Amino acid sequence: MDAFAYTRADQPERAVRLAADPRARYIAGGTDLLNLMKDGVQRHDHLIDISALPLADVRESGGRIRLGALSRMSDVAVHQAVRRRLPVLSQALLAGASPQVRNMASLGGNLLQRTRCWYFRDPTMPCNRREPGSGCPALDGLNRWHAIVGGSDHCIAVHPSDLAVALTALDATVRTLSAEGPREIPMAGFYLPPGDTPHLETALRQGELITGIDVPVTELAAGSTYLKVRDRATFEFAVVSVAALVRLRGEEVREARLAFGGIAPRPWRSEAAEQALIGRPLNAATIEAAGAALVRDARPRAHNAFKVPLVQRALSDILGQFGRNR
Amino acid sequence: MTESQVGRPVSRVDGVAKVTGAARYAADAEVRGVTHAVLVMSTVARGRVTAVDTAGASAAPGVLGVFTHQNLARLALPSPAVAFLKRFLPVQDDLIRHAGQPVAIVVADTLERAQQASGLVGVSYRAEPPRVVLADDMGEAYIPPQTNDGANDYVRGDVAAGLAAAHAVAETTYTTPMQHHNALEPSVTVAAWDGDRLTVHESTQGISNTQNALMQAFGLARENVRVLSPYLGGGFGAKGPVWPHTVLTAAVARQVGRPVKLVLTRAQAYTSNGHRAETHQVLRVGAARDGRLTAIQHTVTQQVSRTEDALLNSSEPTRILYACPNVRSTQQAVRLDLPMGSFVRSPETATSHALESTLDELSYTLGLDPVELRVRNWSATNQESGERHGSSYLRECYERGAERFGWSRRDPRPGSMRDRDGLIGWGMATAAHTAGGRPGSSATVTIGVDGTARIRSGTQDLGTGTYTVMRQLGAEVLGLRLRGVRFDLGDSAFPAAFASAASATVPSVGAGVVRAATAARDRVIALAVADPDSPLHGAAPDQVSVGDGDLFLTERPSRRVGYRQVMRRHGRLIEVTSEAVFAPMGYSVGATFVEVHVDPVLGRVQVRRMVGVFDCGRVLNHRTARSQAIGGAIWAIGFTLSEHTLVDPNLGRIVTPNLSGYLVPVNADVPDIDVSFIDKPDPSSPALGARGFGETPMTGVTAAIGNAVYHATGHRIRDLPITQDKIIAALS
Amino acid sequence: MSEEDPTRRTVIKVGAAVAAVATAAPALPDVAEAKAAVTDTARISLKVNGVTHRQELEARVTLLDALRERIGLTGTKKGCDRGECGACTVLVDGRRIKSCLTLAVMQQGREITTVEGLARGDALHPVQAAFIRNDGFQCGFCTPGQLMSAVACVHEGHTGSDDEIREWMSGNLCRCGCYPNIVASVRQAAKEMS
Repeated sequence: MDAFAYTRADQPERAVRLAADPRARYIAGGTDLLNLMKDGVQRHDHLIDISALPLADVRESGGRIRLGALSRMSDVAVHQAVRRRLPVLSQALLAGASPQVRNMASLGGNLLQRTRCWYFRDPTMPCNRREPGSGCPALDGLNRWHAIVGGSDHCIAVHPSDLAVALTALDATVRTLSAEGPREIPMAGFYLPPGDTPHLETALRQGELITGIDVPVTELAAGSTYLKVRDRATFEFAVVSVAALVRLRGEEVREARLAFGGIAPRPWRSEAAEQALIGRPLNAATIEAAGAALVRDARPRAHNAFKVPLVQRALSDILGQFGRNR
Repeated sequence: MTESQVGRPVSRVDGVAKVTGAARYAADAEVRGVTHAVLVMSTVARGRVTAVDTAGASAAPGVLGVFTHQNLARLALPSPAVAFLKRFLPVQDDLIRHAGQPVAIVVADTLERAQQASGLVGVSYRAEPPRVVLADDMGEAYIPPQTNDGANDYVRGDVAAGLAAAHAVAETTYTTPMQHHNALEPSVTVAAWDGDRLTVHESTQGISNTQNALMQAFGLARENVRVLSPYLGGGFGAKGPVWPHTVLTAAVARQVGRPVKLVLTRAQAYTSNGHRAETHQVLRVGAARDGRLTAIQHTVTQQVSRTEDALLNSSEPTRILYACPNVRSTQQAVRLDLPMGSFVRSPETATSHALESTLDELSYTLGLDPVELRVRNWSATNQESGERHGSSYLRECYERGAERFGWSRRDPRPGSMRDRDGLIGWGMATAAHTAGGRPGSSATVTIGVDGTARIRSGTQDLGTGTYTVMRQLGAEVLGLRLRGVRFDLGDSAFPAAFASAASATVPSVGAGVVRAATAARDRVIALAVADPDSPLHGAAPDQVSVGDGDLFLTERPSRRVGYRQVMRRHGRLIEVTSEAVFAPMGYSVGATFVEVHVDPVLGRVQVRRMVGVFDCGRVLNHRTARSQAIGGAIWAIGFTLSEHTLVDPNLGRIVTPNLSGYLVPVNADVPDIDVSFIDKPDPSSPALGARGFGETPMTGVTAAIGNAVYHATGHRIRDLPITQDKIIAALS
Repeated sequence: MSEEDPTRRTVIKVGAAVAAVATAAPALPDVAEAKAAVTDTARISLKVNGVTHRQELEARVTLLDALRERIGLTGTKKGCDRGECGACTVLVDGRRIKSCLTLAVMQQGREITTVEGLARGDALHPVQAAFIRNDGFQCGFCTPGQLMSAVACVHEGHTGSDDEIREWMSGNLCRCGCYPNIVASVRQAAKEMS
């Protein structure tokens, strides 16, 4: 790591003022940032330690659960209200990383963790996301873990956060603070598609601080679940994952929201798959139709074509659980 | 009855040091004024260094030196005879032989400053397109010259005739990927010079080899090089050979005039310590109607480097294990722009996997139970050398293993066994590995005037239990209690020992300890029978036994005298050093049984149950031996289901040089493992009936897992690892 | 480090400029609040195993490197330096974390416990004793991290079944392959600590 200056911020406003300088960066848990800095993927002259800011509480109010941006993954995962009302969120958090990292990592930092694409993570290799215009070796190289939907000819890296997949399915809103004041960003618009600017990853502006995440509490959210498929039992990023919110009446699907991880450069909400379910009985034909709708526009590469059937199977597996639990 | 010191499940004698953090591994050595080195690695796989800009790094804070091929001292290339297998030393010229080859070394006063400065070294290359894909260059395969590990084109009998006479022939192609050791402790060198005297704290499986290599590299006398390795954070072969970073660290320490510590980063370890080379294997195995093998033809093609062509994935089990009159084993090499392969835990696992998987395929063709097929081809003889094994209870292993596993309840039809949410498969295979057949080791036994013994040998304990079992062996021979014996290792000032490798520690070092302890005991007996005041005065030495810290008459155990009394009257210590005697080769074997669960939707394979029964001669310590066995089984889970190092085909670089992309098993991947031993002494053993064992238990298990996957699904996944994408492709 | 050498202090300043060249930016932000920033080194104090250690440290020094290279507590191990192996696990205010993924300067004022702080004199902690009894290690390199995770695992109450122990001990890799023995060790320690 290159040397940097360090400041511990005690108020959000002060942190935001300090971070107006483009050479500054926030550090909370540090669990991804320090790796990126050790590897030379990111260099920052000034780290602003926000871990002591009073943004670590979890509250239920006004039909929402409000998660402080600095609450730790482990705390949120076992929070009673979260477990009861947003099971998919608790499950996604517990499926992430290791017990130690979950004790360190903040929710805000989790959303901002960067792709595990090996070409991105090694600064001596080309990567459009890290160094615009340098090329993408994954397109013709090793792309087993890469995107099958939502990628571009500039980048097919996948977003690694399980939390972000769950929050996308839950229609959460990210609350922020910047010099211009507070604002709210819906999850649907929080991550930017790679297009020809894969280095622009989120809607956040320079120095904008995530202060919290609001999750609506609904009947739909109470019946939610998360499935993570990986190459070892645990402590691994998703090969594919599914966050599913489904409300049934009898056999019929009344409401559904589906988001997927491991298949796209950002958490992938599939309204096409949702539409294939809604108003239909939750049977094999419906599930197959939803899977087909999900991958209709898939563009697999040499080594990741298996994700096309795998993500459909994962969807079928998780929807089957709803059928059985009915 | 005196209490036997071997065989008991003694707790590790280094246990307290390891659970309190007191055990000092190489990077923990306290060396006054130590500075830190960081390597700069080549980012191209083939070509030349055209320029190195060291100005920024040299001017960076705390930097003591920046070394490239232009200013590093010329060093002599140590020889393969001292286990320096790599045939070039980096940072000596501008040639790039593989990606991740050191091109510069930065030394600074703190680790952070060395790391930052290493990022300021600018290296320019003239790169050439590398060739790194084995499948693309199979046409370039050749048979390298023979090495110590046997002929690369081995023939016995007439394979064509054997295949022609067969009732059934299984023809298969198996492929295994590049894999890495990933010992939790990355390789470490801490080098300190005092004039022409060099002291090195090294994470090595062979301090003697390290000492010899450093002597050669710097032209030093033996007494001027001391290598220390009291604790080792795993090795698995990574630390068996001597590698360039050790020599380079000593070189820069000399040039900056300060002690230097180098700890390889995890990523650097992927190109600095060798790896298990990718293999492509073709097998034809023929059998008569009754299952007796008529022929085995096994052609293994594996990756080697541009500068070395040692083949480490030896087809040993094909040549040795089964009674078969007609065998041809051909081992071919394909040169690629990659680092050299090397030893990785149980190197014969790759070939064992293909052989044992093919036998399973053959068992289905013949309609014969796979256990029965193996029993019918059992042999008490090493089929390659023609010599009888010292002992072989492999048939008993099959029998007991099948019983413990419940094999008789198996429905052999693939896909026939299921549980609530998936497919169940049962598979088995033979575990077999040579143990020893390597140089011997020396040990010194010193018996003090207080009647306690100190034993020293320049060996290592990489977690296998050397500290513990050598103390047990010494205590047993001397007739002392464990607490009356101390065993020290890991210092090249001690009598030289063979490397901790090749399952040779028990037959090599153990035998050295037994010989030295026997001679020392005999001298104490001689004192006791010669002393007129001793209760044993006048007895014939061969009528005296030892045990529980005493010497006594074998026929009248009540006539006894303590070591302490004999030595106190003697008033001087007794010291005996054994000669190194070549360690005989043993063959440690076993039978392994595995149950897998396969998720038919997601394709995930989970190992649910494992049973292993092993014959390694007498078991010196049931606790450490069992741990070796479960360790091998867990490695087999990784080998078969998740571990593969990926190399970018265009850049020629490893893209998974870490522990997040390269997946070693985690705790939740591993079920309970049932391990038992035949535990009958091998009369040919020089170490109280024990054979080497470390490498045996990983072999067999990999094929047992694959065979179980076939039994569960009806599909053979012949390309490892068996990841879910391959399962769902097969099931679709 | 030889911080008493005045010429070296000068070198540090030059070094900051060199770093700035690499990143094309001066080291300090031009904001009033930044006056409190730790620029090159600062005197920080870390409370480890009940003992306060005062160290002159750069902000970039991780807790792991501070423990090992500065304070001399080498029981905590570095296996990957990327949070992927768990060998560096320590407790901070009773919670297990990976010490390679945090800065020492961020852990001031907290109670840090390392493997050296588990035993009380010669009396081993029940987790340590259980690891010895069940042969929960071979080479011992991952062991300090396993032990710290095991202590936390028991305190967290994640020892209800062997499967639960397996899951909650999976943030610590063991390459020798001791997992079943580690599970047995944690199971036994949990029983003794209840």
